[in-house]
Amino acid sequence: MNRRVLATATWLGIAVMAIWTLAPIAVMTFTSLKPRDEIFAIPPSLLPGTWTLDNYVEVFTNSSMPRAFLNSILAALLVTVMTILLCGSVGYALARFRFRSARPIALFILLGQMVPITVLLLPLYEMIGAMRLLDTIAGIAIAHLVITVPLVTWMIRNQVAAIPIELEEAVLIDGGTRFDAVTYVTLPVAAPGLAAAGMYAFLQSWHEFVLASVLTSSTTARTAPVALTEFASEFKVDWGSTMAASVVLSVPVVIAFIALQKYFVRGLASGGVKG
Amino acid sequence: MTAAGAAATVAHPTPAARAARGRRRTGLALTLPAVIVMAGLTVVPVVAVLQRAISGDGRAAFGRLVASPDFVRVLLNTAVWTVVAVVGALVVGHAAALLMHSRYLRLAGFWRGLFMIPWIIPNVVGATVWKWNFSVDYGLVNHWLLQAGLIAEPVGWLSDPSVVLIALAVVQVWFTAPFIMLMVSAALTSIPEERVEAARMDGAGGLAVLRYIILPAIRTTTGLAALLMVVWALNSFTIIWVATGGGPAGASTILPILIYQAFQTGDAAMVSAVALIQLVVSMVFAVIYVRAVRGDMEEAAS
Repeated sequence: MNRRVLATATWLGIAVMAIWTLAPIAVMTFTSLKPRDEIFAIPPSLLPGTWTLDNYVEVFTNSSMPRAFLNSILAALLVTVMTILLCGSVGYALARFRFRSARPIALFILLGQMVPITVLLLPLYEMIGAMRLLDTIAGIAIAHLVITVPLVTWMIRNQVAAIPIELEEAVLIDGGTRFDAVTYVTLPVAAPGLAAAGMYAFLQSWHEFVLASVLTSSTTARTAPVALTEFASEFKVDWGSTMAASVVLSVPVVIAFIALQKYFVRGLASGGVKG
Repeated sequence: MTAAGAAATVAHPTPAARAARGRRRTGLALTLPAVIVMAGLTVVPVVAVLQRAISGDGRAAFGRLVASPDFVRVLLNTAVWTVVAVVGALVVGHAAALLMHSRYLRLAGFWRGLFMIPWIIPNVVGATVWKWNFSVDYGLVNHWLLQAGLIAEPVGWLSDPSVVLIALAVVQVWFTAPFIMLMVSAALTSIPEERVEAARMDGAGGLAVLRYIILPAIRTTTGLAALLMVVWALNSFTIIWVATGGGPAGASTILPILIYQAFQTGDAAMVSAVALIQLVVSMVFAVIYVRAVRGDMEEAAS
């Protein structure tokens, strides 16, 4: 009897959570598949009466979105490569070398994650401007490092620390250099974790809005999240296209998350707090 | 080692000592690129903000800021927004995590992945969708609440100054609760099964187990989650900006929004003045958070 009540309560809770979590996503998806006149129907309905891909066609043929997606991908790739190089280096050092300044350096990088982006906004704008990188993908990518470097440093550091140092020592004993040890032992073992860290960097850049909006002024470098809000003014809030673009912006993220969920969850749990 | 031996080591470093020093140097050198980049992207800007905020213009901007009646309102908005968003996320996140650990649940991994979705989709997308959901006439929130008889007439979720902050905080909860679920889930796994069993044997009911065993056991995680949520809420910009731009009539303007507005009008002194205030407020919580996590990390490192 008590068992039954608890089981029912559990599934009721799951149902409530599922609705709360997924209803907005369902609204986004179904609205993107509605014809224009149905979107503004009163009373509103969740499902489209007639299903159509018109909004997607509009987004891909008649808006600045395709260019914005390309910009987003390029910026995110650049961020990922720079982040992995920087954080691979510092993360490995923090995991494997004992030196006095290791702890202050780790704290310094970690604290960087806590500085509000809006505080950095104007100085970063001026700095990127001084580098003549305003309205360029490189400019956005450099600014995005402030978001990715702290947590990725931590993810990689923990990833390396979890690999027994004996594996590297074995290579050294066999006459290899430390470089060999890292290349042939540590990197392959850490690969899934590195992939998750890289994916995290990619996604952070893909998501980022405020820096990208300030650092770009034209469609040349404007990224997709910024273009999504421009949509509203471009067509007087064309909700159909906005929702279609939203779906396109979200799908790669969800797929990447599902593919790497295991590493992701572990990496985040060890980066934010130890569980 | 004797004192003489130690002196000898200093005078003529043994190969081992030299190698150790070499390793320290390599270690330090490997950290340099990231440290330089982070310093360039955080320390230099913060110093620039400080400099401008304490300059003549900056002090004048502080004067204008404090004299304007909107300032107190922005601070109050920031406080309300933060409290509602943090409490909401903690409640929803803990509830979801406890659900994930219910012994009656099948496919917990699947559900957890599903419930993570709000946290992984871009903020701009979520904010845009919620803006549409909150639409007075076309939004499903009003439609469903009307049908359920919970409200008598459509609510202007984003246009009524008295509810807009709460409505936006709900969106922030939607975004951040999954992360709490993740953190708390991990903490729950580490509670020894026997402790719960023992309490059950002693006749403790579900609520008693929750209150006296489970919640105290995950207290540290709850505290860290709360701190992290405070920092996130204080720094949050995109949701409010996309959904309302700080309106109507400043009813949802919090500190980050105020900075951006000053940025748009080109008022550099005002940007720096508000930024300094935001920096101080959020760094207080950030430092507490980092100090708390550091213990954990050092333990993990050793």
